[in-house]
Order: sequence, then C-alpha cells, then structure tokens
Amino acid sequence: MSEIERYIAPNQLDDALEALAGGPVTIVAGATDLTPQITGGKRVYKATLMNIQHIEGLNAVTKKDGKIRIGSLVTVSEIRGNPMLKKHGGILCQAANHFASEQIRNAATIGGNICNASPAGDMIIPFLVLGAAVELARWQDDRIETRSVPLDEFFTGPGRSVARDDELLTAVIFDVPPENSIGFFRKSGPRPALEISTVSIGIGGDFSDGTLKNVRVAFGAVGPTALRGKLTEAALEGKTLNQDVIQAAALAARQDVSPIDDIRATKWYRTHLIGVFTEELLNNVCQN
Amino acid sequence: MAEDVAFKHIEKTSLIGKRIKKPDAPAKAIGKTRYINDMVLPQMLYGKILHAGRPHAEIISIDTSEAEKLAGVHLVITAKDTPDLKLGFVKDNAPLKSKVLCERDEVAAVAAESEAIAAAAIKLIKVSYKDLPGVFSAKDGLKKDAPQIQENFPGNKSLKFKFKHGDLAEAEAGSDIILDHVFNVHYVTHCCMGTSCAIADFDHNGKLTIYSQTQYPYNYKMDLAPALGIDPGDIRVIQPTTGGSFGAKLDVYPYEPVAAILAQKTGRPVKVLFDREEEFINSPTRQPAAIHLRTGCTSDGILTFRSADVLMDNGAYTSWGPTVPVIMMRTVSGHYRVPVIDFKAQAVYSNNAYAGSFRGYGNVQMTYATAQHMDMFAEELSEKHGMDPIEFHLKNAQKSGEVTPQKSYLRECVLAECLTTAAAASDYVNKHKTYTEACTEEGRYKRGIGLASSIHNAGGAKIHKSDGCGTILKMDDYARVTVITGASEIGQGIDAVISQIVSEELGVPPEHVTLVNNDSDIGPWDVGVHASRTTFIAGNGAKRAAIKAKKQILAAASKQANVTAEELDLRGGYVVQDKDGAAVIRLDRMLRQMHFQPTPDVVMVSDYYEPNSELEGKDHISDHSAAYSHAVHIAEVVVDTYTGEVKVEKVTMAQDVGRVINRMGLEAQMEGGLAFGLGFALSEEMIFEEGRLLNPSFRDYKVPTAPEMPEIEMHFIESDCEEGPYGAKGIAELPTIVIAPAIANAVYNATGIRFLNPPMSPEKVARAIWEKKQADS
Repeated sequence: MSEIERYIAPNQLDDALEALAGGPVTIVAGATDLTPQITGGKRVYKATLMNIQHIEGLNAVTKKDGKIRIGSLVTVSEIRGNPMLKKHGGILCQAANHFASEQIRNAATIGGNICNASPAGDMIIPFLVLGAAVELARWQDDRIETRSVPLDEFFTGPGRSVARDDELLTAVIFDVPPENSIGFFRKSGPRPALEISTVSIGIGGDFSDGTLKNVRVAFGAVGPTALRGKLTEAALEGKTLNQDVIQAAALAARQDVSPIDDIRATKWYRTHLIGVFTEELLNNVCQN
Repeated sequence: MAEDVAFKHIEKTSLIGKRIKKPDAPAKAIGKTRYINDMVLPQMLYGKILHAGRPHAEIISIDTSEAEKLAGVHLVITAKDTPDLKLGFVKDNAPLKSKVLCERDEVAAVAAESEAIAAAAIKLIKVSYKDLPGVFSAKDGLKKDAPQIQENFPGNKSLKFKFKHGDLAEAEAGSDIILDHVFNVHYVTHCCMGTSCAIADFDHNGKLTIYSQTQYPYNYKMDLAPALGIDPGDIRVIQPTTGGSFGAKLDVYPYEPVAAILAQKTGRPVKVLFDREEEFINSPTRQPAAIHLRTGCTSDGILTFRSADVLMDNGAYTSWGPTVPVIMMRTVSGHYRVPVIDFKAQAVYSNNAYAGSFRGYGNVQMTYATAQHMDMFAEELSEKHGMDPIEFHLKNAQKSGEVTPQKSYLRECVLAECLTTAAAASDYVNKHKTYTEACTEEGRYKRGIGLASSIHNAGGAKIHKSDGCGTILKMDDYARVTVITGASEIGQGIDAVISQIVSEELGVPPEHVTLVNNDSDIGPWDVGVHASRTTFIAGNGAKRAAIKAKKQILAAASKQANVTAEELDLRGGYVVQDKDGAAVIRLDRMLRQMHFQPTPDVVMVSDYYEPNSELEGKDHISDHSAAYSHAVHIAEVVVDTYTGEVKVEKVTMAQDVGRVINRMGLEAQMEGGLAFGLGFALSEEMIFEEGRLLNPSFRDYKVPTAPEMPEIEMHFIESDCEEGPYGAKGIAELPTIVIAPAIANAVYNATGIRFLNPPMSPEKVARAIWEKKQADS
C-alpha cells in the first residue's frame, strides 16, 4: 500500500473534475470493491484519495424526454427499491436482488460497479440488455465537458475501460423501454447470497405475439469483459419463440462465449451454464 | 422461625431440559464482547511472521538488515535465533524454519511498534531460496524416488495404525454382496470468526503469561514449553473470549512460540494476530484421506465384515490430523454390528498443508464412506430381495449392552429408536420409493431423500492418561456461587450448562452462578474442550461439587431445624422441608450463620471427576469412552440436474443425547454442527496447486450462508446414560458427522449417481449428470 498524500471530498462536480485533471487520483464511492482490492494488494492508492459521495446531483434516478438517467452514486439498494425502475427497467431490479448482500447493496454504487469493469459485475448485464450508455465528464478549458459512450463499447478488458484518468462516470442513461419490452436476469454460483457469479446472463427485447424484436443478450464472467451475445441475438431477432428457436439460441449462446478455466469453474461448466440459462430465460419469456 | 419464611412453600422444580440463556450471548450479539483479537496490553508490540509462500526449498540466506533499520522495529528473528526448539508431539516442527517444507512455513518474525510497521518490515526481509522438487500427494510420497520431506522419517512414512478382528477370508467367503469403493475426502478448514491470535508477556522471573485461544490450557503448557526451552510450570495460560476453535486450537502452532520468543527477547508483551488470508493459509485443515472401504453383507441383510485401508496426506508436519484413525477405526468397527474388522491407516509426509483436529475428528471422513455403503446395501437388498431399507438398518443396529470388536461398551444404545423415529417423522420409506421411481423420468428438478447414521464417543475419549476435570466451588455470604472449573468455554456453552447444573442442585437462580475458567494458575486440571466431552465430564464434576456443598449446608441446617439432613432440600434460595417445601431459612442467611460462629463453616468444596473409561491403548482394544451415542439424519434435497445445484430443503435428525440439559444450547449445537457438515458436503474446499492454497478468502472458499440452511426437525432420544450428568451424553460432533453422507445418499436417490469424493459442488454434480446422460444416450 502506498501512502495517501491528500484526501478530498468535494461537494461540487467541477471541483471533483478539477482535482481529477490535476493528477493521479483514486476515486472512492461505496468502497466495496476498492477496500478488498487495496487490502489484498491488487491495487495501490494514488497520491490523492477522492471521496465522491458528497457530490451533488449524482444520486438521482430520473425519467425525462423518453430517457432514464441513473446518477453514478445511486446505490444498488436504491435501484432495487425504485418503483419507476421496477416498471421500466425490471431487469435492473432483478439483478439488484441477486447482488451480494444487504450491507454491500447499501454501499455499492452503480458507477463503482461499472468502473470496476469486472467481467462478473452483476449490474453491467442488465444495463447492456437495456442498451445503456454511460456519461463521462471531465474538466476541459475551465468547464465541464461530457461525452457519452455506449456501454457495450466501454469495457476493454478486466478492470479496464475507455474512461480516461481525468474522467468521472456521472450517469448511466437508457431509453425508456416500450410497453411490450421484457427483460430477464439470471446468475449462478453455488450460494444464493454473497456469491461472485460463475456466469450471469440477461435477455431483453420487445415481445409481441410470441415474437422477440430488438433483442439484446448479455453475458457475464465468460470472457475478459461482460459482453453482448451477438450470435444469440441473431438467432432470436424477429423469431417467434418455440422450442426449436430456444434450442438454437442456447446453441448460439454457447458459441458466443469464450470462458476460461479458473478456481471458480471450468470452461466446460461455464459454457454449459450459459446454454442452460439461455434456455431457462427464454422459457420464462414464453411463460410471461 | 424467621418472619420471612413464615407460610412460604416452594415446590420442587427442575431446570434440567429447560432453555437456559447463554450468559455471554447479549454482549456478543451487540458487539460489546472484547475478544482476544481486541486486546491491547500496555507497552505491547506487534509481531508479524514471514511465511515462505513456496512448498519446498532450501533457505540459502536471509538478510534482515533493512527490516532492522526501519524505525519502530524492535527485533527481527530467524531460525538462527531459535536453535534446537521443537514442537509437535513427534517434534518434527519448529517455531522458525531453516528449511522450507510447506507454503506456510515460518521463516522470520518481526516485533514492531505497530501492525503497519511490522508488516512493512516483513517486506524488507530478503530471503534467497533454492526451490526443491516437492511431494504433493500421499501416493507420490510413497514412491521410491520421492524427495525426502522429514529427515527422521524415512520413506516419508508418518503415523501408522492397525486393528484386526476375526477371520477376514472366512467372512468374505460368507458374504453375498461385497462393496468395494475408494472415497476421497477433501481439505476443508475451520474458518473461525476470530482469526488466530496470541499475546505473550514474560515477567522478570522468567514466567510467561500467554493469552491464548487454546482449547486445552493444561496440556498446552506441556506442548508449548519445549518450543521455548522453558519449564511447563513457568507458563500461565489465560484464555480471553475467543471467536471459535472447533478443534483448530487443540495443538500448539508456530505463531504461539514465535510470539513468546519475541516477547522474551524484547522484554515487552507481543501480540501476533493473523489476517483472514494468513488464517486460511496458516491454520490446520481437516485431515484429508483416501479411504478404500470394503464391506460385506449376506442376502439376508446381515453385515459380515468391514475392511478399510486409509491413506492420509500428512502434510509437512504432524499435528492431530494424522491421528484421526483412532476414531475412524471405532466407526469402522462400531457403526452397526460388524463381526469382522480389518483396519489400517498410513500417513505420508508431503509438502502440503497439515491437518489438525476438527469437529468430528476422523468420523466425518469415515462416516461419509460407511454410511454410503449402508445405503448401497439397502438399495440392492430392496431391489433384489424386496427388503425394507429401515429393516436392513434395524437388523444390524446394536442394542444396549452390546460390545464392539474394539470393546466399546454400548451401555445405553438407542440406535434403533433413532432410526425408527427419524424414518417415521420424515416418511422416509414412502418418499424414498416415490423418488426412486421418478429418478429416471424426464425433468429438470429431482427430489431425493437420504438416510445416514453414525456412532461417536459421548463420554470423553481417554487418549490421555486422565480424561478428568477438576472443579472448585465456593458460596459466599449472599448465596452467590463461584465455580472454578478446568473446563474451557470457547463458545460451546459450558458456561450455561454449569450454571444450570449448580442451580439445579443448590436451588439458586442460574444467574447467581459465576464461572471462573480462563486462567491456568487458578483453574484445576482438565484435558480440554474436545471429543464432545465437556458437558459430560465437567458437568459431572460441577454436579458432584454442588452435591458436596449441598450436603454441607443441609448438615448445618439440620442441626438448627432439628430434623435430619435427608428431610431438607434447597429450593428457590431457601432451605426447605423436602416433603412439603415449607421454608426453613433463607439460604444466604443460613450461609452467614454457618460462617459467623466460633468454628466457621464456610462452603468451599472441590472435586476431581475421572470418567470410568479405559485408556486408548496401542492395540486399540479398550472401552475408551464413558458413553457412546448415535445419530440418524434424513436429508431431503432438490437437485437442479441442469446446474448441478443441490438444495437441502429439510433435515430430520434423531440423536441419542442421553438427557437434554440446556435445550437451547443443544439445539444451537445441532444447527451449528449441521452447518459445518453442510459446507463440507456441498461447497467448502481448499484448492491446492503444488502445495499452494489457491482460494484463501471467503469469496472463493464457500462456507454456507443463512439462506442455505435447511429446515431442521430435531428429535432428541433420551437414553438416560447411567454415568452422564442427569443421564446426559456428549452431543456436539455427531451433527457434523452424519449430515454429509445423508445428503450424498439423497443425491443418489434423486439422480442415481454416487458421489464418493466430496464436496458435491454444482459443477461436479452437473458434470456427473451430463456424463451419465451422454453414456445413456
């Protein structure tokens, strides 16, 4: 652990971004990933530790002009209990339900879960299914400059993303899903609580008359980043769901993923589970 | 007659079998308890150990100069500073090592002003190693060209055990069915919530006070002394509140003498405290074993023989782990009536982690095998001969008065009652038949029900020359009782049980009983908390001491009341007439009257209770426990045949408890014990690669969490043990022992697949089901 030279806790976004622009900063919000990474020696503190919890305006969930905007400081517990999200982004609440434990859900933020860029990050999957983009802000020419990055272009590897060192993730934004949209999330692990995903999967789209359109499929813990299942999506797009289509999608899903063997599971088991869960979620869609 | 006793009558009541609150529970629940881990002594330094982190290597050089220069560092020590100091009961271990034999090996240690400085200093120690080829399994250790691990143990051969009874060849010839399987039981560890900790402090006369989590304070002195080169008499052991032991603290491990050596050399108290990762890597494990089990049976369902050949990976050093065959063979020879026995076990040194004692002590491993063989027989006999599975178990279940081939005398044996109670309560026979029929049908979720039983010592285990416990009891002028007992409290609940027993005898409320049991300079001898022995042994001691005190009080009162002592009793804080409960005198007043007279009569009594068991001899033929007990678990599971997840929905248990003492404590022991067995069966596993632990964290080492706990239906069968206090037997290990094979048998009932190698993790179960499907199609 290297020494922290300065600790700051700004209230305003511009102060935070100025500090980021000024040099190496470790950002902390809920600290549920950061603390074990530091104590486990997997990460070291930079000279400045910046607590972003007090920044105004980053902790709201709003629906406006056909978009839902979730501030980066919104906690997993807040997502889980948000009635508007239950109605318009139910898959987010499903994933929040399976996220770690009550204490961790109360502290963990959406921004943190995304920026940690774990291939097994549970909240990333529903956001990929919702077609979300992240908003990144930085201090440029004495003002805040923002850019939007589609979430499926955000991750570049385990723990890595396209966010620059001087950028702060300020919000996750997605279109309000149409009335006929559906979304299902499933994760696996030997335990029902406090479990890091062996694999996770989300499937969503618009569902009318037994047919799926605008399908999005996302997988977690089966590659270096959480990823979209393009072959699976193609196997489902515009198709009327029946057992043949479901079987074809499950086969495609197994081809979409390239998991590794590690101490948590073998490649065989992860691939097997992806097929099982794809089938299971599509059966859920049918029954819905 | 004094005014306050006029017209007062107190009925005879009993606390035995009632729910008694554990005195320290509220403080633990609200976080007020100060554990050893929280303790700070004035002038205390922090000790930190450098572990090798490699399995087998020569140490070429150690440079401690940078660490010594760091501000705040008081001392750095290596093996050079601790020559000739040995530990372990075969003296194959040392506080600090001059050669690396396993990943955890202690290479150097630091004492510093703060934990942070000590940790920084450790990183500044430069060690040059020459890695050596290692031995990473018992099998490899036995190979002719295997590297030698311990100099004094040629061929890597560690402990060896043997027991034979009857003519094996004849028994085999007389068997209609012979089962022959190898069960590989894996590495798990205790996961105490309080990580390992010791605080050592020497005075200027050379006497060591060690604050320790030990569960055997008196023999601990004997084991610690040679690791320090001092006399055991110069060690005082204080046991602050500890966050669990479960067998992990039944031996001395290197961090304890290291703390003491640092304290001795610096003249300051030194605390060594592990973080969680250190705890995983540097704590003892459960003894892993490859158990080659053969069992014979006639077509009438009568067991003919059992032979077990056990190969154990000893790891680099010998702690209690490789002694578990002592209990394994009692299971082989005593789990049901088996006339012919052939048991052998061999431990082999390797460069892996080493095992200690762990709740269930060999029986968790052996019952996983024997109880599955019983289920295999029941299946085959039911299929081929239409035999009812419970009938098969009952045919072989011992009855009271039977003696096993090792001479375990089953004085009060209620295995049959345990079997019939659990089977009836769970509707075992019907459900088993229904699920067997459904097993081959299509469908993702399969239900299964599985039965397992076992036997365990329930009145101590005389592996030392004395299995006894001393008790000193005194009463003050306010009728408050202090019990000084040798028995340690490590969370298991002897505090509540002794209060309850003393209260029962002396007619005072349990909360008026204070227990003193955490200082070896005060407490009388006891052999430690293990072997499910404490309620039985220390409970008997407390009862006997309380009866002595009662006799003394009633003798004094009888003179005053002009009746015989037999006509009096102690109830509700009074001396009363036994026949109608009429109060004679308040107890505190009585005690003051006894005290304040020309010849004072003060209540201070003592007792040493030695159970009527026999020493476990070299031939292993002795009645080594004062009681034996059985338990039956019936587990009901749902298996997701796609993901391999096994959900244990309900467990029906029937256990011979002798007699219920503290019902609340008993229920808690059943639940806690079951949780250990559940983790062992389904999710917990230490994963090693060439001697290195790959999952030293709770993220990747999966202890069960609350949602995984099944519904538990408990049936306590009271066999009324003649030797036990109020009839009680020891109870705490059986729930851990029996549950895993019950789950394995249930998974078989659901899927038709036997899992010989725990844990039954989702991947392993899914893979086996998938492979079976491939093979069938």
